[in-house]
Amino acid sequence: MDMNEIKEIFFQECEEQLAELESGLLKLNDGDRDPETVNAVFRAVHSIKGGAGAFGLDDLVSFAHVFETTLDCVRSNRLDPGPEVLKVMLKSADVLADLTNAARDGGSVDEARSRQLIKELEALANGEVPQASAAPAEPVAKPVAAAAPPPVNDEGFQPVAFSFDDFDAAEEPPLMEMPTYEIVFKPKSDLYAKGNEATLLLRDLSRLGEMSIHCDMGALPTLDRLSPESAYFFWKISLKTDKGEDAIRTVFEFAEWDCDLEISLIEDEVAQPGEELPMQPVPFDLSILDDEPAISVGVVEEEEQLASRQQDRDAAVAAAATASNVLQMAQSATRAPAEKAAPAASAAAQSAAAQQAAASAATPTIRVDLDRVDRLINLVGELVINQAMLSQSVVENDTNGTSSINMGLEELQQLTREIQDSVMAIRAQPVKPVFQRMSRIVREIADMTGKSVRLITEGENTEVDKTVIDKLAEPLTHMIRNAVDHGLETPEKRLAAGKSAEGTVRLTAKHRSGRIVIELADDGAGINREKVRQKAIDNDLIAADANLSDEEIDNLIFHAGFSTADKISDISGRGVGMDVVKRSIQALGGRINISSKPGHGSVFTMSLPLTLAVLDGMVVTVANQTLVVPLTAIVETLQPEASAIHSFGANQRLISIRNSFCPLVDVGRILNFRAIQANPVEGVALLVESEGGGQRALMVDAIQGQRQVVIKSLEANYTHVPGIAAATILGDGRVALILDVDAIVAASRGQSLKPEMSLAAAG
Amino acid sequence: MASKKTAQKTLSLAPVLDLNEATALHEKLLALKGSDIVIDASAVERVGALCVQVLMAGAKTWEEDHLSFTFSKVSDAFEKTTQLIGVEIDHLVAKEI
Repeated sequence: MDMNEIKEIFFQECEEQLAELESGLLKLNDGDRDPETVNAVFRAVHSIKGGAGAFGLDDLVSFAHVFETTLDCVRSNRLDPGPEVLKVMLKSADVLADLTNAARDGGSVDEARSRQLIKELEALANGEVPQASAAPAEPVAKPVAAAAPPPVNDEGFQPVAFSFDDFDAAEEPPLMEMPTYEIVFKPKSDLYAKGNEATLLLRDLSRLGEMSIHCDMGALPTLDRLSPESAYFFWKISLKTDKGEDAIRTVFEFAEWDCDLEISLIEDEVAQPGEELPMQPVPFDLSILDDEPAISVGVVEEEEQLASRQQDRDAAVAAAATASNVLQMAQSATRAPAEKAAPAASAAAQSAAAQQAAASAATPTIRVDLDRVDRLINLVGELVINQAMLSQSVVENDTNGTSSINMGLEELQQLTREIQDSVMAIRAQPVKPVFQRMSRIVREIADMTGKSVRLITEGENTEVDKTVIDKLAEPLTHMIRNAVDHGLETPEKRLAAGKSAEGTVRLTAKHRSGRIVIELADDGAGINREKVRQKAIDNDLIAADANLSDEEIDNLIFHAGFSTADKISDISGRGVGMDVVKRSIQALGGRINISSKPGHGSVFTMSLPLTLAVLDGMVVTVANQTLVVPLTAIVETLQPEASAIHSFGANQRLISIRNSFCPLVDVGRILNFRAIQANPVEGVALLVESEGGGQRALMVDAIQGQRQVVIKSLEANYTHVPGIAAATILGDGRVALILDVDAIVAASRGQSLKPEMSLAAAG
Repeated sequence: MASKKTAQKTLSLAPVLDLNEATALHEKLLALKGSDIVIDASAVERVGALCVQVLMAGAKTWEEDHLSFTFSKVSDAFEKTTQLIGVEIDHLVAKEI
């Protein structure tokens, strides 16, 4: 594995850490004060810093370092994460993400911004330092110097470098004797399970100074009740050292989440509680143990890692970190806990380990190249087609006594269906990462426009195909920008309208009848229909006397080249926003819809297929052509009676269904399969729900059946055909076209099926 | 003690007493329950806390059973490790044997 691959993995992990960081900060922002949340945030920054150091990404390291220092203050309750603090932190998270991206793709970052944030972070870190009051000027200056850029060197890894405690300890030695620490170390069973060894930790601890130890065996049961791999011993240690508390913590760095650790400085020798216990002095000569790099390891891999612990102390940090990364990757393949990674090697390993420990309940996962999954999905698609073909040929050649074959085929069908579902599930991912990205966009736009915005996300664990997720980010970004820039009013206007100064943007994802529905709602002013209408008239999009419903006016904003912003801003208003959004959503086989209430805001609703690979469809015949209608669109099917059909206008027809009229759409006519309208009584009507909410009855000649079809893109294999969403291969090997119901419905409103016109018609 | 010497059994410890060995050691000790035991720790090169736990639990169990649990010989590594982690074994190291 070469360096670039390792680096790529580092960046992948960075992305995860950044997501973790952001969600943690947002939780804190919502008032969550769980120490584990703070820890998670800290770990994320810490591991990015560690990894970045290994690759010599100095900008990233120095920023992460300062950020981490401030977070450490929060972690140790020296800094209260109030709204102002979190604002700085969220911005810092954004800059950290920028720096990571710049490091990966070679772009540049806004240096002024990161410098400013470094200053703010340092101010936060120092503002609450306990020493500040005791000795105002001098002691405070030192940690700042340690934390400030220019980029910290490799030593930046050692928590000692930025610790205020360390500073505290360093001040004291000249005044009194070496300080004594009382340490209570209670390993959990996990500590051993993850290949850590208490004896090694204690040995390292003893090297820091003069140590006495008491092993508490109170919890130790008798042999028959003993679980040999559980932790029963715990230790009370008294350690005289001038290395400071942080040096002690460093010893336990990799076990921190698998043990309870209390470290307290004993000011007064007399009051030392440890004296009550029979303390056993630990001899200095432990050299014999040094020859045993790994006391309690079983697997060769672990041995290597622990062995490297020794060497890594001296080795260049970068090299060591690389080694650890390699080991980590080996582990990610085997899912051995990351704890085992070479301890001194890199902070990245440590944090990953910590995270593992924190989320030890999480199910194991593996990272797989998307291409491989896609290949599998393709193959399964072929399998489904093949199975359908096989079934069909058996049916066609059906002779007597083939029931066993039929039964076998049925089982095969079920199996292929299950395989397909399982494979699809592999690709399914929660929309969370995309939603998280939106919160940053909201923050930035809010900053630029001087608006105060709160983004509320719901249903972020809703799963949808990875392709859909990937393609969702861009339109969603456009829409969020629009919502904040155009949708929400300025704080003054909001207050004047009797609303709170802070605007709310709500992003919701949910599953609804086999599709994912994403809603973006703002509580702004809503669409100014007069303005939209006027603009549309000015731009010759509609006739001046056109009679449009509110819904139709709202949908005008999806027209190409339409923008109501008086001034073209940086953020939105170039007039390329919403039509692009609509097109990308449609390209995904989705629909987008808007509803707006003046004064109360707008709601954009996107409905997308869960997968772009298969579809449950109704196979129908239209003018001797086989078509597939997506099942999700169909409300009901019916056989029209002559009495229910009513002519309307020149060549429009309505069908009366349960006392309401519904336009009848002849699919064959719209797709130009036939020149004259078919007789409705001879066919079947499919009642479909269209994007705008209205119902249409699609006329087809006959229904062949209902089946799951594998979607083959027409665009990729042929070219886009208006009114057709995609194609599929049927059991008999023929290609069947999948109907784009919305386009058909739109076309039925009087427009012909031309791409741009169908867009306009839908709008 | 001398009267029980006939039922005495010896357990020689493996050179490496790590995480993986803890369960095996536990089983070995359980199998020897009910008779005096002499443990030979002279071959031990490294020992982890888990195995020390098992041994100490053994000592406790044997004590409750009023049987003898002694170390005949201990290696330097074994002794140093137990010292390091504050586990007192002096009283278990049999001098009279």
